[in-house]
Amino acid sequence: MSAIRLQNLVKRFGSFTALKTMDLDIGDGEFMALLGPSGCGKSTTMNMIAGMEEPSEGRILFGDRDMAGVAMGQRGVGFVFQNYAIFTHMTVRQNLAYGPRMHGKPKAEIDRRVASIADLLQLTPMLDRPARGLSVNILQRVAIGRSAILEPAIFLLDEPLSNVDAAFRAVMRTELKQLQREFRQTMVYVTHDQLEAMTMADRIAVMDHGVLQQVGTPLEVYNNPANVFVARFIGSPGMNLLPGKPSESDRGLVVDLGPLGATAPLPPSLAQALRRHSGDVLFGFRPEQASLEPAGPGITAPITIVERIGARTIVHLGDDETAMKVVVDNDVAADAGTSVVVVPRLDTVRIFDRATGTAIGGEHG
Amino acid sequence: MSVATVSQTAMAGQDTTARAGRDESARLGFRLTLPAQILVLFIAVFPLLMQLYISLTDWSPLSGRNWWMAWESWNSFYNYYDLMQDNRFWGALWRTFVVMIVCVPVEFLLGLGLATLFADDFRGKRVFYSILLMPMMVVPAVAGYMFFMLFQSGGPVNDVLSTLLGTRVAIAWLSDPTLALVAVMIADIWQWTPLMFLILLAGLVGVPQDQVRAATLLGAGPWQRFVTIVIPKMKTIIIIALAIRVIENFKIFDTLYIMTGGGPGVATETISVYIYKLTTQDLIWGYVAAIALAILLVLSVVTIWAMKRMAAAREVQA
Repeated sequence: MSAIRLQNLVKRFGSFTALKTMDLDIGDGEFMALLGPSGCGKSTTMNMIAGMEEPSEGRILFGDRDMAGVAMGQRGVGFVFQNYAIFTHMTVRQNLAYGPRMHGKPKAEIDRRVASIADLLQLTPMLDRPARGLSVNILQRVAIGRSAILEPAIFLLDEPLSNVDAAFRAVMRTELKQLQREFRQTMVYVTHDQLEAMTMADRIAVMDHGVLQQVGTPLEVYNNPANVFVARFIGSPGMNLLPGKPSESDRGLVVDLGPLGATAPLPPSLAQALRRHSGDVLFGFRPEQASLEPAGPGITAPITIVERIGARTIVHLGDDETAMKVVVDNDVAADAGTSVVVVPRLDTVRIFDRATGTAIGGEHG
Repeated sequence: MSVATVSQTAMAGQDTTARAGRDESARLGFRLTLPAQILVLFIAVFPLLMQLYISLTDWSPLSGRNWWMAWESWNSFYNYYDLMQDNRFWGALWRTFVVMIVCVPVEFLLGLGLATLFADDFRGKRVFYSILLMPMMVVPAVAGYMFFMLFQSGGPVNDVLSTLLGTRVAIAWLSDPTLALVAVMIADIWQWTPLMFLILLAGLVGVPQDQVRAATLLGAGPWQRFVTIVIPKMKTIIIIALAIRVIENFKIFDTLYIMTGGGPGVATETISVYIYKLTTQDLIWGYVAAIALAILLVLSVVTIWAMKRMAAAREVQA
């Protein structure tokens, strides 16, 4: 009963459309991340699921139940705010007990529930401390515990890690994922940080400008981006996209990249899909899935910048239209100014329609 | 003679120099703030001491002597003894207290209610906001005259009542001991609810909306949210608002004096009116000084209480 179905969901604020026709099914017990840059409509979607905003059009169903007109206090939704919204004038215990108290539960039951949730979240030693001035990981646990105590079928988390410093984020990510496994609840997690989405989510819904771009497991989204936006947004750095034209050669179908030369022949399945297509394309490959060679066949480009980030080295090549990045091991020799040959791993190459931005020839590799 | 001794001596020398430097800068600081300190002495400490001195004498401006010669009529603590026996004083204090105990809570509740309304947006909010704040800007003496006119037995208040009740109403508001007090309270509430509203609105918009929404999601209804989140968050500002009004209301004078002059009889005579009459009519300034000091003591206790509560509230919130 705790699956979420969003059907033709639209949200307009005056003349501004924050969300354009969103359809999304979130499974029971699934951890779904809504990922996108700020202003993409992910928080709006979340607020509508919570009942803080009314949809302009469309329906939200929890299981088979239409949520239209159901007040936010009655939806059985746990919500963890970006800043946790802990009641700072209360103790940890009063925070945890707030939900059951508002639902008029008897005192004995409240005490029992607070004790068990505090035990689960390791908050027992802090129960009678004022919530003000607690460290951020404890605040996160209090925020989760305060919602979890009502045993909501659905948990919504609004960028809960964005106020945490980078070093601590890794700890909190692990903690959150563990908690989700323990509670086995449907979780919707809003974030603009792809690392959070990739590491924690079962599936990721990538959004941009109020439009759902792609839904899939982290690896699907990474390996087979549905369009240029997802290709650029997912991955760090994002996918390289070079403008070109398909062209037949005696070795098979290649992509003519203009001044950069022609690529190696494409794998048969991709070539087949591309042959059915007309027009200019974007030749895409991941910076991590390419190597640099001193000479030979491939894309020849000058190195512009070499960023050594410790474990890896990011090599920037070309300029403007032909700009690309390749991530190599940290001991690979690369000097700015010299020309090298970029050899993408052919099975990981993706082709996009240049006009529409959508991927050509879906799953493969 | 060892190295240690030498370095100790050197350090001692340094120490002396440092202390001398500190003394020098302290002296400079003292000299620089001296004019301000003298000023404070004259506007705060000196009058207080003068008042204390006069309160221990029977001095009156009619005695023909300068105030510093007041010791000639020294009566020790007789004024304070008199104060204990003065029924008119206790009556005035009681009425002041009654006015306060009615006006401040009513102003608070009205102000809070209005602030709650104004926390949300509605059409014409700015216009109503300006209208609502207007009474506060009326000079109290003018407000007093307005209400004096309103409450005449042939005045608009009775006219409105007549229309509402369908019969001719001719209540002599300001000549009836009880109604005069009610009229005075109505004037005070009219004039000072806006201030309460203004302060409480500032507090209300400062309540973190995330916490209010969190409470809603946890199932709290509007009233529960108000009691468990909004009011505790506003505690500091509520104490400030109440303290300001309690202290101001205790000194209630101008509006009231113009409306009733403390009458009929002494029916609306508050502490300030009583002091005013003693000062300008009876001219027994030694006694007035004693009363004023007693009042100062009471108000100081209220202020200290309020400040302590505020500090405690800040401790809990922040």
